[in-house]
Amino acid sequence: MDTIKGMRFFDPHVHMTARTTDDYQAMADAGVKAIIEPAFWLGQPRTGVDTFRDYFASLVGWERFRSSQFGIKHYCTIGLNSKEANNEKLSEQVMEILPLFIYKEGVVGVGEIGFDDQTALEDKYYRAQLLLAKEAGLPVQIHTPHRDKKQGTTRSMDIALEMGLDPHMVIVDHNNEETVKEVLDRGFWAAFTIYPFTKMGNERMVDIVKQYGTERIMVNSAADWGISDPLAVPKTAALMLDRGISRADVELVTYSNAIAAFAQSGQINVADFESPAEIDQSLKFNGSTVLRGGQQPRPNKQSTIIR
Amino acid sequence: MGYAYEAPGTSAVLADIIQQQISEKGRQWIAAQLEAWQSKGTLQTFNIAFTAAPRFLGRDEISVPPAAREALLPRSADGYTADRLFRVWWLLQLPVNDEAAYVQAIENLFNAGEMNELTALYGALPFLAFPEAWKLRTAEGVRSNIGSVLEAIMVRNPYPAQYLEEPAWNQLVMKAFFTDKPVHLITGLDERANPELARILRDFSRERRAAARPVPPMLWRLVGPFLNEDNFEDLERAWFSEVHAEREAAALACHSSAYPPASKLLESRAGMAAEIQQGLLTWETVAARVNGQ
Repeated sequence: MDTIKGMRFFDPHVHMTARTTDDYQAMADAGVKAIIEPAFWLGQPRTGVDTFRDYFASLVGWERFRSSQFGIKHYCTIGLNSKEANNEKLSEQVMEILPLFIYKEGVVGVGEIGFDDQTALEDKYYRAQLLLAKEAGLPVQIHTPHRDKKQGTTRSMDIALEMGLDPHMVIVDHNNEETVKEVLDRGFWAAFTIYPFTKMGNERMVDIVKQYGTERIMVNSAADWGISDPLAVPKTAALMLDRGISRADVELVTYSNAIAAFAQSGQINVADFESPAEIDQSLKFNGSTVLRGGQQPRPNKQSTIIR
Repeated sequence: MGYAYEAPGTSAVLADIIQQQISEKGRQWIAAQLEAWQSKGTLQTFNIAFTAAPRFLGRDEISVPPAAREALLPRSADGYTADRLFRVWWLLQLPVNDEAAYVQAIENLFNAGEMNELTALYGALPFLAFPEAWKLRTAEGVRSNIGSVLEAIMVRNPYPAQYLEEPAWNQLVMKAFFTDKPVHLITGLDERANPELARILRDFSRERRAAARPVPPMLWRLVGPFLNEDNFEDLERAWFSEVHAEREAAALACHSSAYPPASKLLESRAGMAAEIQQGLLTWETVAARVNGQ
């Protein structure tokens, strides 16, 4: 990891609500400057609209604050995920409250939405949310299915075009060797999730960049409550450098491209994280801090004063 | 219509197994629950017994005697723990005169269920009344990422094959491959094979090969009956695989196919073709080899 010292990273897909402060600390130490947390499911289906509301509110509230305490700028995308779109009664209620959140400051897109089982209800709410995104002028972050992936990916893009979205406003996530060519050929952004066992490994990612170049390609961790790695982006950058990919190219796929894609929301100001304010972990959010019972804030290593 | 099978008889079989194998204290607890339920008839009484069962009956595995196993078919309670067996029996005590109330009561149990309750509930699907009412719930269960819940739906459960629409069925089978479940134990696997599922599994095999990950041999069982010019090259990759189970699976797939190039391919390995004819090479032997048995 020494080779990436001093480099900066942007992880455009990571579910920090499922992670610990140790993860935030390690990410900050590895050079992660900013992240995007897409709204998704919580590992089991919610049974009421109130838990959706509280979750969305936490993404723009407590989690954003928690992240700031480690010097990481936190953005999010808001949407009704594909798995839970299969509960029609609940989905109708969620669609009603979505506009209250997607127009909030720091919301850089509608996501993650798309297909899981590829059912009729998933299709219905995917289309409805594409319209919301189009009206709001926001990018869309598409989750492509684990199962029947190739067809699901093609179908997601077909529908986005049919609904009148510009492919340049659409980030197609969780690509692999079988999907990448079509996604790039059709003008969409192609995101790759480095996630052990079920998605991409980072050696395969190196080969993809060698074959397809860097245009409209980005890497993320999608770290969540599963066995995943919040350092996937910096680790992949290190591996790319080791295997002969130029530093400029590594920066594109682990930093700049994601910013370019999601900055189309008008909600990303790179000055916010390229020259961040000092971190003060004793700050509070609604009276709460990330410090607990007698815990001391991490000392500011930039300071020459030792107390 | 209520039950689509002879539920009172099944209920009696389950009650017998429970009574024979739990402690005196457990029997007393069940009697008290039943008495309270019959006298009060409130859902609260019903829900308490359903939820509290492991506290009073424990979680030891129950052995199902051969006669009871026979009587329960095509349903199965093999490997059930005491609390799980009780929960299935208890669900059969719910009145079925009002469909809406019945469905609501059980949906509430699903919505509040923890892992073991969900396992019991999904496994109980073939025992429930109004079978048409549980299709969406079953598809929801297939979306779960909890292994025991998935197995309760997939393994030796006759409900999905009988009631799920084709897309939901295909999703179940695909998810079983995806999560390394014992696919060969899915009830109705061959009967519900279909061209769309064969296409999905062919794409899956390509994705796995592109990622340099192993391709589950059992997948060819569902592609075999639909071999054609669109998937034959994929099958040939299994046929020439370094993995023995893949080659065996490819041979069995050829055997189940009417596609002439497949028959021709099988003829080129006379030894395997003979083993299939003699019943020495079957999907069961492939499953045993894959699972290291």
